[in-house]
Amino acid sequence: MEVAERLRLGTAPGQGLPPAFEELFRKEYARVVAIAHRVVADADEAEDVAQDVFVSFYRKHPAEAHYAAPWLYAAAAHTALNVLRSRERRGKRDAAEAMRRDGQVPDPAQAAETAETRSEVRAALGRLPDRSAALLALRYSGLSYEEIAAALGLRQSSIGTLLRRAEDAFRKEVTK
Amino acid sequence: MSDIEEMLSVSEPKIDTERALARLRARVDAERIAPVSRGASAPRRVAVNIWVRGLAAAATVALVATLLTVSGLAETILTIFEPKQLVAVPITSTDLNSAASFGAYGTLTWTEQPKPYDVPDIRTAARESGMTVLTPSNLPQGVGAPRYGVMPKTTATFTFSAAKTTQAAAAQKRTPPPMPANIDGSKLFITGGPAVVAFYTDTTATTGATGASGATSTSGASPFSGMPKLIVAQGKPPVVQSDGVTVDQLQSYLLAQPGISPQLAAQIRAIKDPSSTLPVPIPVDMATSKKVTVQGVEGIFVGDSTGLGSAVIWQKDGIVYGVAGTLTEQQVLAVANSLH
Repeated sequence: MEVAERLRLGTAPGQGLPPAFEELFRKEYARVVAIAHRVVADADEAEDVAQDVFVSFYRKHPAEAHYAAPWLYAAAAHTALNVLRSRERRGKRDAAEAMRRDGQVPDPAQAAETAETRSEVRAALGRLPDRSAALLALRYSGLSYEEIAAALGLRQSSIGTLLRRAEDAFRKEVTK
Repeated sequence: MSDIEEMLSVSEPKIDTERALARLRARVDAERIAPVSRGASAPRRVAVNIWVRGLAAAATVALVATLLTVSGLAETILTIFEPKQLVAVPITSTDLNSAASFGAYGTLTWTEQPKPYDVPDIRTAARESGMTVLTPSNLPQGVGAPRYGVMPKTTATFTFSAAKTTQAAAAQKRTPPPMPANIDGSKLFITGGPAVVAFYTDTTATTGATGASGATSTSGASPFSGMPKLIVAQGKPPVVQSDGVTVDQLQSYLLAQPGISPQLAAQIRAIKDPSSTLPVPIPVDMATSKKVTVQGVEGIFVGDSTGLGSAVIWQKDGIVYGVAGTLTEQQVLAVANSLH
């Protein structure tokens, strides 16, 4: 599989990744993609974000680091938010197109409508302050309060309050 | 399902982890991406690398950089370094770690120690620093009230010592080039500050002071835990006077030291007007930089490579300003441009 993949991608095998890093990748990849996917609502873009996040971690941190998982989660949320915002800057059509790719709704009319709604919701998420948007992305990707606190450098006891505020702000942005 | 959950719902992505891992391996190979070296710093250290080491050590590095750019005339005390402009000098962590510390080349004696202290308000900060303290009129969401600190004017004398250099090099099992006779024993007089720094709290984080619950983020899991949301700093740039060494001698001597990479040496040699340019070190593996216009002058924007933090630094009317925080580029530039 590995050799075949390398051949397909036209790259020569190098020294390979350290086993500890590969283990971390296998353990956390799905979750990192899930967080990014929650934000960008496009599976391909979410996987691109996850690749960037792991490369960034690989450059700067040892795979055995005890903070590896929270670091990856926070970076996934923030990197995905950056992608979302730059997409919004490029224009609504681009954003709606990404949602349509991800929609998987059989009826074209319904697909367009769903994509439009999703696009507006994501635009609202992108307008929130970074921390609020990251809180929502992490929470609705299934992270516990403890994991969110560790990822965002917050007190666990304040996550509930901050989350409610972020949700209120998000609702306001969506209905704007 | 809550309304928010519904709004943020996405289709279940089909994930092939092994295929994704192969893609990453290929990218690492193709782009020759090097992993972090063994014994890499802990996350809190990373934060220190990015911000505290970036800002606090800017003084030290600027000091070393000034050494690299000094010029002077024998027998006369002359102002040899008084920056009027800034230039970004990319440095690698290898440069940072392997370059000998300032102390290896001689003795630094503080005549007025850098002793920063808190002041209750902006008026006191202005009075004690003798500067007009600028404040931002544009603050992003989540930025709270400022706390002010003042660093009074600081002066120091640095005396080069060939004996100390040899000793320090021997301890590290290195062989430095011999120190030219006229550098040995010569003195540099360094003045820095005063400076005023405003730390803005993060209102989206709990500011409880006791931390007795134990459920805090003090485990250091996040590189950004405990950081102020925004820092606004202004100060008089360092000025260096010399009792006599030539720029060529000092520059060739210092740039030939072990640990100074040829790339870094070339960057410093390329500075057109070394006596009036303050090099701003940019750790290339942790941050990116570019030129921007701030307050109508040219400044340097620095973004850390995780995209979580940004900083901008510029010099105007004889004062160096810096704005940094866990904010986006647009937010940091908006704060910087709103200073008045």
